[in-house]
Formats: sequence, C-alpha cells, structure tokens
Amino acid sequence: MYSLLVNSPLSAEFVALLPRVETLVVVLFFALFAMSFDFISGYTGYLSFGHAAFYGTGAYVVVLVANEKLAVTVPVLGTLLGPETPFMLLLVLAGVAAAVVALAIGSVSFRLSGVYFAMITLGFSQVLYVFVRGWDFVGTAPQEGIAVTGPVGGFEIGVPYVDSLTVAIGQLTGDSVEGLLGFISLSPTEVSFYAVGTVVLVCYLLMQRLIHSPFGTVMLAIRENEERARAVGYNTYAYKLGAFVISGFFAGVAGALFAGFRRSVTPENGFYFLVAGDALLASIIGGFGTLVGPLYGHLLDEGVREFLSKEGGGGGLLPYLRANLGEDTLATEIYNGLTFGEAIDTFLNGHAALYVGLLFVLFVLYVPNGLLGTLRDRLGGRVAKAAPAHVRRWFQ
Amino acid sequence: MVVDAIVEFLSPRTLAEVFLRGLAEAGLYVMIAAGLTLVFGLMGVLNFAHGSLTMIGAYLGSLALVATVGGSSGAAFRLLMFGVAVVVAFGALAALGGALEVGLIRPIYDRPPLYQILLTFGVTLMLDEIARILVLFYGLQPTTVWQDVLGTKPAFLSETYGGLIGGLELFQLLFGLLTVVGVHLFLTRTRYGLFVRAGSEDSEMLSALGVDVRRVFTVVFALGTGLAGAAGVLLAWDSAWGASVPLAAETLLPAFVVVIIGGLGTFRGTVVAALLVGLVDATMTWWFQNYIAFTGLPEMTIFLILVVMLVVKPQGLYGVSEVGGH
Repeated sequence: MYSLLVNSPLSAEFVALLPRVETLVVVLFFALFAMSFDFISGYTGYLSFGHAAFYGTGAYVVVLVANEKLAVTVPVLGTLLGPETPFMLLLVLAGVAAAVVALAIGSVSFRLSGVYFAMITLGFSQVLYVFVRGWDFVGTAPQEGIAVTGPVGGFEIGVPYVDSLTVAIGQLTGDSVEGLLGFISLSPTEVSFYAVGTVVLVCYLLMQRLIHSPFGTVMLAIRENEERARAVGYNTYAYKLGAFVISGFFAGVAGALFAGFRRSVTPENGFYFLVAGDALLASIIGGFGTLVGPLYGHLLDEGVREFLSKEGGGGGLLPYLRANLGEDTLATEIYNGLTFGEAIDTFLNGHAALYVGLLFVLFVLYVPNGLLGTLRDRLGGRVAKAAPAHVRRWFQ
Repeated sequence: MVVDAIVEFLSPRTLAEVFLRGLAEAGLYVMIAAGLTLVFGLMGVLNFAHGSLTMIGAYLGSLALVATVGGSSGAAFRLLMFGVAVVVAFGALAALGGALEVGLIRPIYDRPPLYQILLTFGVTLMLDEIARILVLFYGLQPTTVWQDVLGTKPAFLSETYGGLIGGLELFQLLFGLLTVVGVHLFLTRTRYGLFVRAGSEDSEMLSALGVDVRRVFTVVFALGTGLAGAAGVLLAWDSAWGASVPLAAETLLPAFVVVIIGGLGTFRGTVVAALLVGLVDATMTWWFQNYIAFTGLPEMTIFLILVVMLVVKPQGLYGVSEVGGH
C-alpha cells in the first residue's frame, strides 16, 4: 500500500505526508502501551501518571534476558531465562514482571485517590527511573541505557520452537518474506509491522473482552461513582488493584515489544515520566475511555512528529518545502535578516512537540472526548455498529 | 567502618555543615514550591506548567543579568541587578500566568480536576518547546546550563565561610526566608490575602459575600507564576541547577513532592515540608558522598520521602482532606 502510493504521480506529496513503516511499528507497540494506560486511567478514572514504570520494566526484562543477566540454573530444569528463551515466552514474562511491579505500587497507591493517586504513582516511577539510571547491574553505563549485546539473533514472534511458524522482528535482524502465495514480498520492517501488529491486536482483543465483561462494568461504576459502587457491595479496592495489575501486564508486553524491535532501551525512553505523558497525549487526542482511541491518537502524534522531523528520511514537510519552494523563496528576507529558509529551520525543524502540545491543549479545551469519543457521540454508538446503519440509509 | 561513619557524622562540625546545607536547600525548595501551593490551595488546580514557568523565569532573569553586568561591575551593583532581574522575571511571569489563567484555565473550572492537570501538562509541552526554539535560535545549547549567568555572580558568593557554608547557600537561605515572610505577610495582612484564605475554605461563600472570586483566582495564579519566575532567577546563579530547558522537569517534581508532603493547599505545611526535605536530603547526600557508593540514591531520597509520607499520612503534614474538591 505504502509503496503503491509512493510510486503514484503525487509521489512527492505522499512521501511528505505518509509516515514510514518504521514509524508505524513504533505506533503499534506504543499504542498498546497507551491502551493499557487508558485501560486503567480512562475506565476507572484513576490517572496513572507513573505508567512508564511498567513499560520500562517490560523493556528491561527483554534486554536483560538477552544479555544473559537473568539466567538462573535450577538443578532439575537446567538453565532458565538464558538468552535462548523464546521471545513469545519473554513477552509473557515481561508482562508478569510488570504486573508484579504494578501489584506492589498499586497496593499502596490505591489507598489514595484523585490528584494524590496520580502523584504517588508518578513518585514511584521516578524512584524506579533514578534507580535504573544508577544501577550498574544492568550494564556498564546504566545512564546511557542498555542494548542487546549477546549473540541473540532477531526476536521471533510466532509459535515458539516451530521455525516455519515464526518470524524475526527488527529493522536489521528481522526476516524478510519473498514470494509468499506467489505475489507477497515484504521487507524486514514490514514483516515486523505485521508481527508486532498481531501481538498488539491479540492484546487489544483481550483488553476489550475484559472491558465488556462484568469486571469492566464494575470499573466503569468506579469511574462514575465509586461510593455508590462500594455501597452496592463491590470491593472497589480489589477491583481497582486488579485492573491496575492487568493494565501493568499489557504495559509490560508493550515494553517488551519495544525492546524486541529496537534491541535497546534507555532510562529516558523506558522509565521517564514523560513516556507516560506521551501515552496520556495519545489517550486524550484519541479518546479517553475508548480502548482503541489511543491507537489513533498516537498515530496522529507520531504522524505530526515525523511530518516535522529533522532528517525526514521517508519524507516530512521540511525536505518537501526545500525541494519545491525554489531558491528565491527560501532566500527571501522576512524579518531583520532572517530568511524564509532559516525561519522554516527554526520553527519547524524537529519542533513537533510545540504543535503536538498545542493540539493537545486544544483537544482538552474543545474536544474533551477525543477523536473516537466525539465520532461515537456523533454517530450515536460504536462506529462498527452505527456506521453501517448510516451507510445503509444513504443508499435507500 | 559503620561506627567510624557514625562518629564522623555526629561530630559537631559535620552536623553543623549538614544542617546549614539542609537549610539552604530548604530555601530553594520553598521558593520553587510556594507558587504551586498558593494556586492549589485556593483554586484546586495542580499546575503542571509550574516547572516550565520557573525555567522561563531563569532565562529571563539571566538575560537581564547578562545584559547589565559587565566584567568590572562591583559586588553591590551585581546584587542590585539581581534584584532587578527578580522583579523583571516576577512581573513578566505574573503577566504570562494571568493570561494563561484567563485564557485557558478559566473555561474548565467546572470540569473534573483531572482536566486542569491535563491542560497545564499540554501548556508545559508548548512552553518547553518554545523555550528550546528561542534558546537554539540565539545560539545557546538548551540542555546545558547558560554559563554566562554564573559569571555575573559577585565573588563573595562563591567563597566558603567558616569552612562550613558557601556564600551562595547563605544567599539562598536568606532569599527563601524573605519569600516565606513575604508570602506570610501577604496572606495575613492584605485584603487579597484575606480573600485567598477565605476562598481556600469556601470559595462559593466568598462569592456570595460579594467578592469577585474570578478576579481573586486570576491574581493568585499570577502571583504563583510570578513566584515561580523569581525562583528561576535564584536557581540561575546556582551551578547545580542553572538556566537550561530541562530545569522545567527538574524543579517541577521536587516542587510537587514538597507541596504534597506539606499537605495540598497549606502554606505552613509547605514551609515545614521544605525544611524536612532539605534536611533529609542534605543528610542523605552527605552519607552517599562519603560512605555509600550508589550514584542514583541522593536523587531517590526525595521521592522515597514522598512515598513514605503518602503511605503513613495520605493528606500530608498539615493537609485536610477535601481541599479544593479533591
């Protein structure tokens, strides 16, 4: 699809507008993290500002196992958690590790509510962030983060131990597919896209199942009126903690996918509180309290970021403007010796955070339900149910 | 080994040194947290943009200092210019804060408190990026401290007195004390201070008594952001903090911690919490510098205090539950 559009007559415009496949892989696993954030924050109303702790835990587990840091030798079973551990198992392990962290943090934090809850989770995640930054067990330079250094090849997604049913992910280490069914050929990054996408889809469906179960209904009841939920007889503490642990599990899986694809992780992109901030951004723009909303929110976020990115390897506004505006326009002086070209450099080059922040503020002010939430309000129901009815009406 | 350490720590000299350093740190903490606690106490808005405003104040104050102080300026002139820089930063930030309150926060008072955090978080992202653009444009590195400002410090502040305390630390201690006294007088002796204290108790009642609460909110928000700006100027002279864009996040988190430990919305609590955090932090820093080798731990202590505090006494030292609708 991407290559089709890029090779079309409007090629330059499409290259500028469309995100690259690598970006889309990032969108997928980060969207899973944002969904897990939305699962607890959007559905129970408890803002988990320290959610990055679980993402980072998942990512660190993967890299540490691959670097043989966590290998333990058990007498009967042999070496466990060595670098040969299948990635699918690692995903679950990373999730469980994050869930354990979530259980520990949540059991204390849920004694509080409102702003206090947001702040104490933030506090816990910053403690972990600073700790990981100074913990030399993880690698020689813990501040710079860690990368997979061992002889491990690409992390494989699929059925463990069955070679023909797995594909490796990663930009350099991934598998490529040629001539599948005679006509499908995919580059390693595209393979990663589908492989990561499958895991994210499965996780999404699991979370969606939970939201629509009686358990999810109690979560909503807590958001709408916790006192009443308690009065009806629900142990709200247990439900909140349960939801938090589940959310932590999926955040850990997302972190593991992130580490599996990137093959490295730093305290800044794993544990820092602004990582949770990005998830918050995605949730608000996409639709707070709609599980799939964060995916669209983050797609928009990453799209804007890449559109205004520095090098624009696959495209972006900057190279497009430079190529198409012509020298004269670029050299035009607009203010006090500042040429148009320099102005573009100054205000657009890599400064997407400004525009994303502006977008975010506008959404908070004017579109509090986010993209998907507003769409649902307009259509009067879930898109999958309401849209066909609308279409049918047009054809009658 | 352990006994040696304890003996050394308990020697009067070390104790005095740690105590004074703790007080100086408390001065800094009270500066960065004072505005935050005023705003939260009255309006129930936890201002996530507070750190960014401190950072902008640091740059504005630095700009005033760098522009006026030359290599041959005397110490008294430098101190005077510092005062001017504080006034400039306070005024500019108060104006910005007032505009933010009227333009962005006022429309969403009736929404759940969550949305105010979200909104100010978005404002933070924007302010930081604007600062980064401008700083880059004028040829400075946004992530490193602006060194020129450190050069505008009078020489006597860089000396150590009695082998115990640096001049700058003493200066921070005094400045913090001055701020505490100033805010206290504002709250207890002025008409607006009366409105603020009344509004913190029950803003609807205050409104019913004929006070324009909306204007009180704007003034207090402007005052809070102005204090953030003044704190920024103070930090710009300290090489451990300095004027840089990451200063926003570096000051925001300790400010939150101090405000929450003190109890959301009580100024007295914030002052006591700043003292507590400053002293504990100074003590821990001494231990980690001399006997315990783990680079990250001094930074962790402040958050560990927060976590312990919230577990033991969730509403903070002097907090009452249900402040500002939380």
